Amino acid sequence: MANLSDTETGSHTARIARMERDGLLSPSQAAQLRDSIQPRSADDSAGPTRGRWPARWIGVFLVTVLVIAVIAALFGSGGGPQTVQDVSSALNQPGGVGEMNATVSKLIAVAILLIVPLLLWALMHNSLVAKEESVFEAWAQTESNYQRRADLVPALVESVTRFIQHESEILTEVTRERGQSTGRLTEAIDELIRTQTDAADALRANPEVLIEDQQKLAQLFAGQASVGRSVGNLFAVVEAYPELRSGDQFLELQAQLEGTENRINVARQRFNDAVGDFNGTLRKLPWSLIASAGNFQRKAYFQSEEDARNAPKLNFN
Amino acid sequence: MRAMRQNSTSTKRLTAALIVAILAVAGLSVVRELQAPPALVEDDAKLMTPEERAFVADFHRFLVKDHDIDYRVVTVDDAGDINRFAVEQFEKLFDKSSSATGRGLLLVVDPTQDRVRLEVSFALEGAFPDAFIAYVENRQMVPFFRTGRIADGILASTELIAIRAQRAADNAGFDDEPWATASGGGGAATTARIGDGPEQIPVPPSPAEAPPTNTPEQALQAYFAAMDARNASPDLAFYTPATREMLRGWTITQAQMDQVVDTYRGCTAQPIKSDPTSSLAVIRYPVAERSCAPFFFENIDGAWALDLTMMQRAIRFGRTNAWRFDQSIDHPYRFAFTDWRFDENGFPAGVQ
Repeated sequence: MANLSDTETGSHTARIARMERDGLLSPSQAAQLRDSIQPRSADDSAGPTRGRWPARWIGVFLVTVLVIAVIAALFGSGGGPQTVQDVSSALNQPGGVGEMNATVSKLIAVAILLIVPLLLWALMHNSLVAKEESVFEAWAQTESNYQRRADLVPALVESVTRFIQHESEILTEVTRERGQSTGRLTEAIDELIRTQTDAADALRANPEVLIEDQQKLAQLFAGQASVGRSVGNLFAVVEAYPELRSGDQFLELQAQLEGTENRINVARQRFNDAVGDFNGTLRKLPWSLIASAGNFQRKAYFQSEEDARNAPKLNFN
Repeated sequence: MRAMRQNSTSTKRLTAALIVAILAVAGLSVVRELQAPPALVEDDAKLMTPEERAFVADFHRFLVKDHDIDYRVVTVDDAGDINRFAVEQFEKLFDKSSSATGRGLLLVVDPTQDRVRLEVSFALEGAFPDAFIAYVENRQMVPFFRTGRIADGILASTELIAIRAQRAADNAGFDDEPWATASGGGGAATTARIGDGPEQIPVPPSPAEAPPTNTPEQALQAYFAAMDARNASPDLAFYTPATREMLRGWTITQAQMDQVVDTYRGCTAQPIKSDPTSSLAVIRYPVAERSCAPFFFENIDGAWALDLTMMQRAIRFGRTNAWRFDQSIDHPYRFAFTDWRFDENGFPAGVQ
């Protein structure tokens, strides 16, 4: 979901090639932009595949013990095959417990002592797995939205750079006066390409490793926040150009970027909720024992207080 | 002793009967609550009259019936962050959705902050991308909000949504997945501009010479060109005087003009039907092209002019955007349809 299909990647690459051919982007900018939208390699995008080795061995051990216990209970009582049994002793007497009932009682005791804990262990383990899956799903949504924004950037760059080209071709007094503002547009585009390129590597990291490493996640978030700020800054500069910002195509792009920004916020919130639920469970007994045996690791949160203060306020009206 | 025991038994019976009665009443109210359809309009900010609220709710019930889209409206004073509010409300309200396929829309109007947001469920994101929602808000809804017509703005947006839904159903369809009932933040928010006054749509520069209108086709072509240029001016030469007068009091949105162009792009005009005894003419389209309503023309001093006044009185559109005649309205353009059959509701049913 987070990654582009070949067709989508192809269309974005073709757009970048077209911009390079038309002189809207320098070769280095084109290379940066192309690199920034490359999807993660197939090996890294496989998702969470880490084995639960300790948990698996504990499971095998418990099942083996259970089988041995059942066999022992069945064959350990009642003597060998040659023994002539005193059937009367196995019959229930009024107020007494017969030999047969004693065997059943032993089996029930074994069941209570082994099967019930085993079942409980399995249920709790599965519940932890489900909670962890929720974290991964929430992360996939977040990542997908970051990628969605990255995909929109080439279209935004093309829209603005074509306008800059158009402006520079009409050498009127008015546009000469605007020369500095056009320069600001160019600067804003350069900054956007740079921040998107810087942020792209972090997004390509293996998600399983990423979301268990607070430092790496913080780096990713900082990078993506920079992209958001660059987009916001570009729109702020574009405000000075009514003919650019009131075009239908540009308005569509704005709406899509605003929508993506909102999706990112929602997905981030849901990711933090899922992580909170998972981490909170890990700290409680007896879940912590299951988690320790199952090699479940705490997940990192998006810690965005500082970035939230600097977050771009996109107002497209 | 015996009397005391009898009293105690009666008390126990009475208590048991009371408990049963309380449980029955509680159970019934729970069943009623579960069976009651969810409210489609929650107008806490009191932006609409009770009649308008009922009308919007009725209209939205048809959206559920025709397209399985559950479209709720919430107006609220000071929603805080409207984006967050909309997501939270969506989660709360659509816990009990009327749509079996997860198609949900939630419109939040906040007059205090002068903001509006239309939230879209995952199932509708493919059919209603953010750009379309922003277009609906800015080009269709807000122009009505500007004049204080909240209900009309909502209804006008619902029309566009219904048309888009019909197209989606005819083409690729929707992404109907059980998980898609939720919202992931899709949709768009914009400034509502409630009561800001009519929108001043910039009128494109007129050509040096007015387009010729020597035939009804030329007049119609000039009208389509004006709509394509989003020229909402009521003073264009190809309107009859009565039409110009009528249009001066209308709210014409850019989306409505786009809709005219978009609809008639796929229509196949038939030969003109003229009335030899009068100066009237009609351009009509095949019966099968149900969205393509006919155009009425009047010849005034040798030039043909579009009679939108009579079209507006005589022609109605159904929920699927199919046109029909209002049977209660008598009009002088019936001569052009004497060879057509109409059903009891005025929808064209075929050629005689």
